[in-house]
Amino acid sequence: MKKLLLLTVLALAATVGTASAAYKVGLLSDLTGATSSVGTPYAEGIKAYVAWLNENGGIGGEPVELIQVDYAYNVQQALAAYKRFTSRGIVAMQGWGTGDTEALVKFVAKDKIPVFSASYSAHLMDPAKAPYNFTAAPDYSTQGRAGLKFLRESWKEERAPKLAFVFPDNPYGTAPIPAMKEYAKELGFEVVGQENVDLKAIDATPQLLSLKKAGPDFIWTGGTTPSTAVIMKDAQKLGMTSTFLTNIWSSDEDLFKMAGDAANGHFGLQGAVIYGQDVPGMGLIRKLTKDTPQMTHYIRGFVSMLVMAEGMKMAAAKGEVTGESIKAALETMRDFDPMGLAPAVSFFPDDHRPSMSVNVCTFKNGKLEFVKTVALERKKEWLGH
Amino acid sequence: MSMHKCGLFYTSYRAEDGLFRSKFQKSCLAIFFAVLLACPQFLNSYVVSILNLILIAVIGAVSLNLLTGICGQMSLGHGAFVGMGAYGAAILSNLGLPFFPALLGGGFVAALVGMVFGIPSLRLKGIYLAISTLAAQLILEYVFLHASGLTGGANGLPVNAPHVLGYAFDSDARIFYLILFVTTLCVLAVSNVARTRPGRAFVAIRDYYQSAENVGVNLFAFKLQAFGLSSFLAGIAGGLWAHYTMYITPEQFSMGLSISYLAMIIIGGMGSVLGSIFGAVFITLLPELLNLIISSLGGMAPDLSAVIVPMKEGVFGLMLVLFLIFEPEGLARKWRLTKAYWKLYPFAY
Repeated sequence: MKKLLLLTVLALAATVGTASAAYKVGLLSDLTGATSSVGTPYAEGIKAYVAWLNENGGIGGEPVELIQVDYAYNVQQALAAYKRFTSRGIVAMQGWGTGDTEALVKFVAKDKIPVFSASYSAHLMDPAKAPYNFTAAPDYSTQGRAGLKFLRESWKEERAPKLAFVFPDNPYGTAPIPAMKEYAKELGFEVVGQENVDLKAIDATPQLLSLKKAGPDFIWTGGTTPSTAVIMKDAQKLGMTSTFLTNIWSSDEDLFKMAGDAANGHFGLQGAVIYGQDVPGMGLIRKLTKDTPQMTHYIRGFVSMLVMAEGMKMAAAKGEVTGESIKAALETMRDFDPMGLAPAVSFFPDDHRPSMSVNVCTFKNGKLEFVKTVALERKKEWLGH
Repeated sequence: MSMHKCGLFYTSYRAEDGLFRSKFQKSCLAIFFAVLLACPQFLNSYVVSILNLILIAVIGAVSLNLLTGICGQMSLGHGAFVGMGAYGAAILSNLGLPFFPALLGGGFVAALVGMVFGIPSLRLKGIYLAISTLAAQLILEYVFLHASGLTGGANGLPVNAPHVLGYAFDSDARIFYLILFVTTLCVLAVSNVARTRPGRAFVAIRDYYQSAENVGVNLFAFKLQAFGLSSFLAGIAGGLWAHYTMYITPEQFSMGLSISYLAMIIIGGMGSVLGSIFGAVFITLLPELLNLIISSLGGMAPDLSAVIVPMKEGVFGLMLVLFLIFEPEGLARKWRLTKAYWKLYPFAY
């Protein structure tokens, strides 16, 4: 009990920080947990943008102070981190994963703290359900639909293309499947099977063997880069000729390290550009990173903070910068171009889908290459599904 | 100057068996509660939220200790039973039931499910039972994810902040009192159960099941009771968690939660109610403290933080191992030793 008192005093002392006029923004990162391999570059991108912003005038002359907490992908620790942020008076937050973003939906709505997360669950796009949640990339379902549209357009044969789904049986994996199945039917795909491969799987042969019999032309995989590597390697081993379409977290620059040439020729969906791609903002990224190549997650983190900062600037131009005014400003944002680093962003009071466009990339000779940006129509009935 | 009795002096068995045996103990407890009750008034919402998390963890740990520490039945599915209670309470509360009936309902749902998964305990012991309760964890996680009509599946389930008699417990400071009240009841309940006939039967089963059966303890009935009661309390913890976070998803009740409850009772001290409380405090605070230390170190030497941050998990693991080596009976024993030391101070011989 003495310990408890001592700790509370300690915690108090730590939370009574230096008072400054800076706008405080919480940065909830996974640096040590299950998703740290992608969480770290994402957080680095956010920090790099804030450092650059502060050197270039900040928000209406005021700097942004980032408060970073590593929550190790643990919902309880995320909750505590969020409380630490609010007790230090943050105006907005950069969040991370599915579990923590969802656990905080109601808190951020009550405290009026706009959150940009890297969890792209469809229901987070619906302000009726999650009024203070934003993202810099469209939801998993929109991404999946755009990917299917791309595949359908590239399909040249007469017969209907056969499609199969491989995903982990967890909230993140199952989320976009119903939407994608429905859209696949609409586009004229023939869905021939679905299998579950765990995120920590080291072997996917049994699942792929049963898919092989169905002979899909395309296989959707939504997992992580390591699980995708396992699936692609096993598919190569079994001599499958299907083309894989992987979601935003299922492939990145690391895929080649794990899958080798088994990755060649497959497609991946991304929410931001690839390092070195010819867009206006790449010069700045190159300068900030001193020409050291970064993963696309770094650029997506950079964009996420860039869009949030734009909202803060818009709020500052109108008056006081508070969580409420940032949300209101963000909802007036139309076709804001984040230096070309990601598709243009618009938010509406009743629709928080940042865009309906997704970058399709491919894997070629050990490198991730940009193919094209696929845009969908902003359909009302797709919001939240 | 008043005179004190040397040691404790009882004139009845009932007094000797009391929960709080001395005036000193009672007044310490009263001061502790007074301080705790005053906490939200002068602490910020971060510290109060940590206290809330600790209090919920205390119920989880105490209930697992009842099953594993007192009755000797290993469970790796405790996190899922907490989840069962969370979903139960959330669904009932979304149907319009008031807070307390919904909380109790969640507890009963968890108890029922816990008893079903406790049935194998008649035949299985030790590591075998652990594996069969692991199955409970996996099956229930599957149910949370796929019974989407009830649980919201992958999208999760929103819950409203509790209202009791028209008063909204919607801030950390307010819900703190509600959680403290429920936690106190749960801890008192387990402490009392340990002194009753079923409680002594649990200990007998833990110590040696054949002797227990020889003296007339119905193994199956009491093991099921232990599973039921433990899961009921776990369900209460889940119900509180659901109403506190106001949004539950299957990910929150994963294997990791079960493991962290086990870590709590091992670090705190198996079979000790006080130990479970210490364990819950320790396991909840450790990551926060490590974060605080790292962020303050990072402030002093930013280059260092890149090296230190990845060491956090290692430090956490190391602490657990060191505890098991140097204090295998947990924090509860450490507490007893400290008390004994000060009782005799400065003539400790």
